[in-house]
Amino acid sequence: MGEDRNSFIFRLLLTLFVILAINFFLPRMMPGDPFSTTSADEVGEEIIVMTEEQRLYYMNYYGLDRPLHEQFLVYMKNLMTGDLGRSIYYKMPVSDVIMLHLPWTMLIVVGATVISTVSGVVLGTFSAKNRKKGSDRIMMTGLIAFAEIPSFLLGLILLLVFSVYLRLFPLAGAITPFADYNGPAEQAWDILYHAFLPVVTLSLSQLTGVYLLTRNTLITVITKDYIRTARAKGLGEKTVWNRHALRNALLPVVTRTGFMIGIMMGGVVLVESVFSYPGIGMTLRSAVVGRDYPLIQGILLVIAVSILICNLLVDKIYGKLDPRVVI
Amino acid sequence: MIKDIAAFGNAGILSSIQALNINGIVSSIAMIFSKFSIIAKTFSRFSTEGKIGVLGITCIVLMAVFAPVITIYPPQKITGDSLEPPGPGHILGTDELGMDIWSQICYGARMSLTIGLAVAFVAGFGGGALGILAGYMGGRIDQGLMGVIDVTMALPSFPLLIVMSAFLGPSILNVILILVLFSWAKPARIARSQTLSLKKNNYIIAARNYGAKPFYLLWRHIFPEVMPVLLVLIIGISSHAIIAEAGLAFLGLGDPTSKSWGMMLNHATGFRSIYFTPYWQWWLLPPLFMLIFLLLCLAFISRDMERILDPKLKIKKGF
Repeated sequence: MGEDRNSFIFRLLLTLFVILAINFFLPRMMPGDPFSTTSADEVGEEIIVMTEEQRLYYMNYYGLDRPLHEQFLVYMKNLMTGDLGRSIYYKMPVSDVIMLHLPWTMLIVVGATVISTVSGVVLGTFSAKNRKKGSDRIMMTGLIAFAEIPSFLLGLILLLVFSVYLRLFPLAGAITPFADYNGPAEQAWDILYHAFLPVVTLSLSQLTGVYLLTRNTLITVITKDYIRTARAKGLGEKTVWNRHALRNALLPVVTRTGFMIGIMMGGVVLVESVFSYPGIGMTLRSAVVGRDYPLIQGILLVIAVSILICNLLVDKIYGKLDPRVVI
Repeated sequence: MIKDIAAFGNAGILSSIQALNINGIVSSIAMIFSKFSIIAKTFSRFSTEGKIGVLGITCIVLMAVFAPVITIYPPQKITGDSLEPPGPGHILGTDELGMDIWSQICYGARMSLTIGLAVAFVAGFGGGALGILAGYMGGRIDQGLMGVIDVTMALPSFPLLIVMSAFLGPSILNVILILVLFSWAKPARIARSQTLSLKKNNYIIAARNYGAKPFYLLWRHIFPEVMPVLLVLIIGISSHAIIAEAGLAFLGLGDPTSKSWGMMLNHATGFRSIYFTPYWQWWLLPPLFMLIFLLLCLAFISRDMERILDPKLKIKKGF
């Protein structure tokens, strides 16, 4: 088990290293150099604003004339000290730009994780209790069909129905612009009101996974001997389901949650674009459109690291929950 | 189950070909072709949903192939007024530049299908071949490949996809290559584990003891066994590739010269105040519905194939 765990952490580190390497080499593989385009107004327009002498000075200043391995070491050193470079569009450090937008993404990702896990477990339990009945069949077919629609298309449909057609929810943004709040309660309400559709979209896209997992695990668990023992002891159905069956069925759900956050961090870029929600996904989109390379790299790094941290956390929590797993 | 039927159905064809004394490769090809007739037979075992799926895909393929026949206007030419509502001239109306939306839908089907098929076949068969080889050879090569597979599967694929296409430039070929890079790992892993359990079978050990060469064993005994699983995976990969292409195009990272469904979504949602005008009804809805329809059809087929192949075999879906 100990060896297994070491290889798990080794794999995480290796993945992190691969991402860092991609991040480092991609911009250096592109034709041209950064100094011929920094002051161009439009993409594709090349203005040479520096003399050869100046260009060499800047190459030297940024260390681009040094050997690649030295550049890589400098890059790693900067990363370790939290220096992600400067954003070209925002004209401030990339880490500041990310810190400005990350809370919004955290809000909808965490919200969607909680909602989809809780409702997935509740619906899955309901389905397992009523298995082979009509309600179970209908729920399963419906939810499986839902799962096949990618989250951003689902988001577009929700936006068209609830914001454009019914005018129930806002079209874009995370807060009402230029709003004057009469206290924190009103502000919180406004934030929730704007976050509602993105959170629902992300939750719906992840709900089916949790639902199916809970349902199928419960159906296997409920046939076990210890469940029969519990019933034979005269425990009520409620206790049998909630304390004996569900507790065991929840273990794989925990693993699934970490996995889910990873998928959502990928999908959130598109979902935020659909709702013009100002998280890091939306920032990534505008950075891509504006060719703001340092910002693109910084955001990729933040997304990748948060996914890896989630995996690590799930591993730790799982060990705590299941005494059979030795850490 | 399918394996038994296949073996039974193939027996006649194979023996007749072998009677003609044609070498092993030709007979193996015949075997694969006869497998397609088996697939035709399994169609009758599809559920209603599965049949709808096959029918839907056939319609979309026909639409893509006969796009020049069923459309009046070329998709990239200005043939009408800006933002005409659906009417007799333009069945589905026009976009902001006056290009016909029905034409764009038909030609856009080509883009989605091409990318889906290309990525799925290269990643599915390429990854499958790597997995079979690694599983068969074992040792260092196997361990090395497993390491690469683990890392590839742990990478956050969509964010990396965005960044790589932003840096490498948006062209169809780049999009396909990047997608292949992120989708070969799953078929490789499954082909490897299948090969590992297959090569312990007595008939394979017997064949080897009779002097069968590794290539013959892999091609004749192992590949046909892994093939059905690969086919199911290929459907999954193609729908994943179609989603990824649509997503990239929606973000503005598609090939700017093409009119894919994702690009149409990008243009429509990028149009100022589209949600305050009625334009979204004929500009945004058609590509949205087509994409969802295509993905649902693919999902129905893959579910049915999974069920028919082996109910115990769990091929987990993951992004």
